Amino acid sequence: MLGVGRDGARGEWRAGSGEPGSGTGTVDANGASPVTWPTSTAPSTARARRSVPTSGSLSVDEVDAWAVLVAVDGIGPVTLAALLAALGSGRAVLATAAGPAGPRRLAEAVAGRGGHLDATLGRAIADAAIQAPVLIARVRALGIEVLTIESPDYPGRLRLLDLPPPVLFVRGAVAALDPARSVAIVGTRRATERGRRIAGAIGGAVSTAGAVVVSGLAIGIDGVAHAAAVACGGRTVAVLGSGHQRLYPRAHGHLADEIVAGGGAVISELAPDVGPVPGTFPRRNRVISGLADATVIVEARERSGALITASWTLEQGRECFVVPGPLDAEQSLGCNRLLRLYPGQARAVASVAELLEDLGLAGTTDRLATDRRSLRGGRAVGPDPEAILAGLGAAEVAVARALLPRAATLEELLDATGFAPATILAVLTRLEGQGLVVAALGRYGTSGALAATTPLRRRERPRGGAMAPAGGS
Amino acid sequence: MLATVLAATLRGLEGRPVRVEVDVAPGLPGFTIVGLADAALRESRERVRGALRNAGYVHPPRRITVNLAPADVPKAGSALDLGIAIAILVGSEQLRPSGRWAMLGELGLGGEVRPVPGLLPMIAALARRGAGRVVVPADALDEARLVPGIEALPAASLGQAVELVRGRRVRGRGPMTRAELIPDEAERRPPTRSEDDAWPDLADVRGQAEARRALEIALAGGHALLMIGAPGSGKTLLARTIPGLLPPLDQAEAQEATVIASVAGEGPLRSLVTRRPFRAPHHTASYAALVGGGPRLAPGEVTRAHHGVLFLDELPEFDRAAREALRQPLEEGRIAIARAGGAVEMPARFQLVAAMNPCPCGWAGDPSGRCTCPPGLPDRYAARISGPFRDRLDIWVGLPRVAPAALLARGDGEASAQVAARVAAVRTHQVTARGRIAGRLSGRALRAACLLDGTAERAAIRLADSAGLTARATERLLRVARTIADLEFAERVAVRHLEEAARYRVPATATSRAG
Repeated sequence: MLGVGRDGARGEWRAGSGEPGSGTGTVDANGASPVTWPTSTAPSTARARRSVPTSGSLSVDEVDAWAVLVAVDGIGPVTLAALLAALGSGRAVLATAAGPAGPRRLAEAVAGRGGHLDATLGRAIADAAIQAPVLIARVRALGIEVLTIESPDYPGRLRLLDLPPPVLFVRGAVAALDPARSVAIVGTRRATERGRRIAGAIGGAVSTAGAVVVSGLAIGIDGVAHAAAVACGGRTVAVLGSGHQRLYPRAHGHLADEIVAGGGAVISELAPDVGPVPGTFPRRNRVISGLADATVIVEARERSGALITASWTLEQGRECFVVPGPLDAEQSLGCNRLLRLYPGQARAVASVAELLEDLGLAGTTDRLATDRRSLRGGRAVGPDPEAILAGLGAAEVAVARALLPRAATLEELLDATGFAPATILAVLTRLEGQGLVVAALGRYGTSGALAATTPLRRRERPRGGAMAPAGGS
Repeated sequence: MLATVLAATLRGLEGRPVRVEVDVAPGLPGFTIVGLADAALRESRERVRGALRNAGYVHPPRRITVNLAPADVPKAGSALDLGIAIAILVGSEQLRPSGRWAMLGELGLGGEVRPVPGLLPMIAALARRGAGRVVVPADALDEARLVPGIEALPAASLGQAVELVRGRRVRGRGPMTRAELIPDEAERRPPTRSEDDAWPDLADVRGQAEARRALEIALAGGHALLMIGAPGSGKTLLARTIPGLLPPLDQAEAQEATVIASVAGEGPLRSLVTRRPFRAPHHTASYAALVGGGPRLAPGEVTRAHHGVLFLDELPEFDRAAREALRQPLEEGRIAIARAGGAVEMPARFQLVAAMNPCPCGWAGDPSGRCTCPPGLPDRYAARISGPFRDRLDIWVGLPRVAPAALLARGDGEASAQVAARVAAVRTHQVTARGRIAGRLSGRALRAACLLDGTAERAAIRLADSAGLTARATERLLRVARTIADLEFAERVAVRHLEEAARYRVPATATSRAG
């Protein structure tokens, strides 16, 4: 089993797993493994924000009531379902909890349905009920929309999961969560230059073909895939492993804003103030694969979170694609092992074009140029670098082209272009200003739309052989 | 009877004349030194006693009181030994002096006269006081003769000094001391520092075109430079080529540098120091070693690098307090040291060149992705360099790892001589055109020097805005652009110069870029 921890995969999900007493807050919902949601009691228009007076002084609508409940540490899908089944609605749960002897009455109600509610959890719900307006105000202030599984806009693909997240906190366009086609692209945080290049190419190609790119906003492969989709003007969905207020990694706060501005969405199943603790990330990964028709693993180490996503993908019956790598590359160990262990389920990516074919995305957009060839045969896919470079000066184009196959140092750019160092450095600043080049410690790589292009084969590059083989990278 | 000899002591880089008064009086035998003497000076008693005895004189068994005037000036070091010994001989009537004498030198127990640090400024102080002649250690005669307006007479031993004071010219070696009869190679210092210290030539550095360019700009304009790169990428090697790239000191600079070299104990000096200093203290260097101080208020590395380059390898590993103490000299070109014994100010107008790894493991940003530091750690490592310190580093350059193939294939870079010629030409041009090198321009003078036209001004604003630069950082951009323009002797700073200068600003680390 790849060494991927799957314990509790079907059990209770809980923010901050490993909390003391986390084993006691579980509800035995009559042993019904697939949770049945008490739809009869849910309001028919869940997103309509009506303020219905409840028995107590609480005046929250049903959607917000769910949000308040899932924000309680210790309430997962199963507990929530049991509470709803026992009391009829989220508002009723909160009203009861906030009322006299709330925790006891909650426990009695759950016990009446054959379950058990831990006393500590009962008190936590009572506290949350009293604090509810604070949380709701914060959610509003952050511009977050709350979707419950009852909402008509709740993504259909997630409903198919065994334990779908009952509540999603969504920043951005809700419509991006339920597109015609969506592909998850994930991988290691410690990516190689090559891995980043491939992730960008796949993200760009998938996005150009009209599919939504789903990923985890992490450093490394995830971030590159999101950035490629944004650069191509496509929609992309980032699934956080923390709450919105505790966005992690913080370095990607700007990328998150760009994703939202580009018509995509940043979502989390966790309340806004839940921090990034290790336990939340495997849980998040099931939402990534669950939102996508297929998942592409670009690079994964031996023990990578991407492998957890891969195994969710297979378990959810979605398609799983794996970019194979060299045997001696640490960042490809996990990928290669996936291919070995799941023949016929995990499929190898032979080229970006062929991946699009396998995904059923080839030919779905007229932006495909047919006269270019991709990494290894097949049609050219993704955004056309020539179109991106069209408005630039000759020197810029020459330098940008030299960077297309892979990142290069000034030394290598000197060899490739024949320009003076001062010229190349100035040109690099201009390209950086256009968002097409990014610098890292003396090495220059493509960025933005340029990073979303599929690298041409070396012999087919316009300035054939210009990159000296001596220029190592 | 009472005897008086003129001598001098050191205070920071300044010499101070000291009158050595010795009273040899009847009474219980004793030897007392008064007048704010430090530990080395109190031990002078033992050296003087031994030297007198072993040179064939009598240490008088009487009450000897040595007063060092002025009494309120702290005196340090062993340079007063010779003066005290001669004054005792005069006071005990073993020696009849011919006129007034000044004496400088440390005594050995065998009576030999040894060189002392700071001879140069001490003799200069005596010359200012109007002393006509001074007896100096024979080994340090060349250094002493660098001071005009005073006659320096060499003495290798107490005996030779006595002959001089008696009014006899010493020809040749004069009387031998007992110690000199026993050859002691360790005593004979090698003839100062070798003038052709080996430093690597730029042609020996493989690859790293961007860092070479940055180094040339930094040296041409006197800009503080920080090199960031993986271990083995060549940061230290590049830095070690610097002595071969710097132009020699001019006359005024050389005089200052020679005084500092003398006080720092690099002597005895043979001639004026004309090579720009290149100081590379290890990162374990203490605060006092770096900025100066200690009981004798000795010059630190910042002062010893005056008019030259201070190279700090592994910058984040330096003691934080010591690092932050560099801010004043970087800004003002001097360092003020206040200690219990008083405050001194020493010149410290050095160019800072520093190097660091991008992260503790050294591999952040490498295309192989082999950095093992947890995400975010490289940023925290870089954050050890405080904001105000960052603002004083004009040029930041990243050094990628050089692949083995490139190491073998390349190596035909320019030689140091060519680069040194350009550096010297640009420095001369900058000083001629604007009175100072670009690295020391700021504010209105800097803006005036850039002569930005409308297009360039807009480009400067755009580049500053896009990077969210602070006012200080914007100045850095202009300063570096000025030197880049000077490298092609362009009158105005143009857009392309600004664009290249923008390459050398504080980088986003590998982890904080998108993705």
